[in-house]
Amino acid sequence: MSSLLVCEGVTKRFGGLVALNNVSIEVGKGEILGIIGPNGSGKTTLINVISGVLLPDDGRVIFDGKDVSKLKPHVRVSLGISRTFQGSRVYPYLPVYYNVALSARSVYRDPEIARAKTNWALTVTKLIAEAVELPINLTPFKLRMVEIARAIVTNPKLVLLDEPFAGLSAEEVEEVIKIINKLNNLGVTFIIVEHKLRYLMKLAERVVVLNNGIKIFEGPPSEAIKDREVIQVYLGGGVS
Amino acid sequence: MAFAKPSIKRRLVRYVPSITIMVAYSCIPLLGIRGFWLDVLTRANIFALLTLSLDLYSGTTFYLNLGISFIAGSSAYVVALLYRYLGMVPEYSIIPAIAVAIALSTVIFLPSIRVRGVYFSVLSLLLPLIMVSLITSQPLSLYLGGEGGIPLPSLFSSYARMLPPRERIPFLQLTWFYLTTALTIVAAVLSYKLAYSNFGFMLRAIGQDEELAEASGIDTTRVKLLGFLVSSTLAATAGALYAAIRPPVTVDVLIPANTLVPPLTAVILGGMGTIIGPLATNYITIVAYELLWDAIGRWRTIAYMLLLIVLVILKPQGVVFHIYLKLRKAIATKLSSVTWR
Repeated sequence: MSSLLVCEGVTKRFGGLVALNNVSIEVGKGEILGIIGPNGSGKTTLINVISGVLLPDDGRVIFDGKDVSKLKPHVRVSLGISRTFQGSRVYPYLPVYYNVALSARSVYRDPEIARAKTNWALTVTKLIAEAVELPINLTPFKLRMVEIARAIVTNPKLVLLDEPFAGLSAEEVEEVIKIINKLNNLGVTFIIVEHKLRYLMKLAERVVVLNNGIKIFEGPPSEAIKDREVIQVYLGGGVS
Repeated sequence: MAFAKPSIKRRLVRYVPSITIMVAYSCIPLLGIRGFWLDVLTRANIFALLTLSLDLYSGTTFYLNLGISFIAGSSAYVVALLYRYLGMVPEYSIIPAIAVAIALSTVIFLPSIRVRGVYFSVLSLLLPLIMVSLITSQPLSLYLGGEGGIPLPSLFSSYARMLPPRERIPFLQLTWFYLTTALTIVAAVLSYKLAYSNFGFMLRAIGQDEELAEASGIDTTRVKLLGFLVSSTLAATAGALYAAIRPPVTVDVLIPANTLVPPLTAVILGGMGTIIGPLATNYITIVAYELLWDAIGRWRTIAYMLLLIVLVILKPQGVVFHIYLKLRKAIATKLSSVTWR
């Protein structure tokens, strides 16, 4: 499997705090990679560095053979990296349709293509009925769907999902998993940051475990739950 | 396709109230209204440009552009200086003045537009005040007119001189009214189209969550800069017209209480980012302020301020746009029942 994303020795500091310390990961095309770790371990910081919301202090981010370390987030979106945020960030006073369509319009110059892609993303996420609603009137599950629709509408090669299952019921999580699998079958690569390891085990072929900004494990989820160091820092003695 | 453009019929029905209002407003002089009230409406037209400028950028992005006084003032001073030093009359200096003001404001504001946060608003508030200090300080006041300002002939006065004396002022008043009305209508239509286009929605997205907008593919710096340029053009046009129609040009044009507070009031009361609400509020407040003079004389300022405070407390999301929406809905319902051939 050829590499889609390579992070080489990525370091990010906030003043005296080292949020990421020389982290290197590699993600293959079409792979689903899980990132786990306790609170404050650097998972979201890593997502922010890959998506361009934060720039690394050291190290490089190489996407599809191109060094994107210094590129702005919107440029990375046009190259094929899209993301969701922790806790469902949407434009609260723009209808669902525009929440999705603006991303499409920023990538596709042709308005007809942008409209068609928006309709496709709303259909995949089952949001057609809510398209004219304001996000403030939606349930947490539908808000998560708006985020996913916005992330996939730009035709990404890599989607970064930051805690996509947080606050959802088991049935709702299954719906999200179905969409992820469907897109993955179309060739989309995923990096998923998640606390709920039992769901991640259904999806990810590999997991990376972070602790205090350092990568402490990389391998299949089945081995992660047996790893002594992982158990000690994250699992606390058993699978959640 | 699940979502497509609305039909021509629906779009026509939607625009009927606005088109009716614009046509009716243009016909006001035909009702015999002249003199003082035509002057008030001309002034309201100029302030409408400032209101549109403020609403298009600040009403959508929530980046409060307190510097429209600076942009309008720069443009007004360029008109005056071009006459003073090059003998250029306003007919010829308005467009160069607008270009200079846009270039100047872009160069000064560009660094603050690129970053997030309050830097832009703080800079935009300070600039007009700094400019007032510069103009009134020695030795610059000798060149920039100081507190007395710079006198210049008013717009089209060279043409008015060819007319008999008693026809000159009515000619100028009518010409100014129609010129400013035409510009305001063009500016209003363009602002409305922009505010409700993808570009306008990108500005609104930036206002609601700039980090999210950037991370979901919007080039926020470019969109903000374009929005600022359009907004600056409107403010600079208002400033140049103000100088050309109401000479002499003094530091009054730079003082936020004169050129910022009325449009800001219109934007807040009208409904931020709605374009139509602030535009209507601009006319309502300016005409109401003059009518209050007849009713309560000098107490009008206090009464006006009290009314504004009450309205902002009761309807912080704006009043006029919501009334407009209700009217439009009623008219659209009525019109949709008509058989279209």
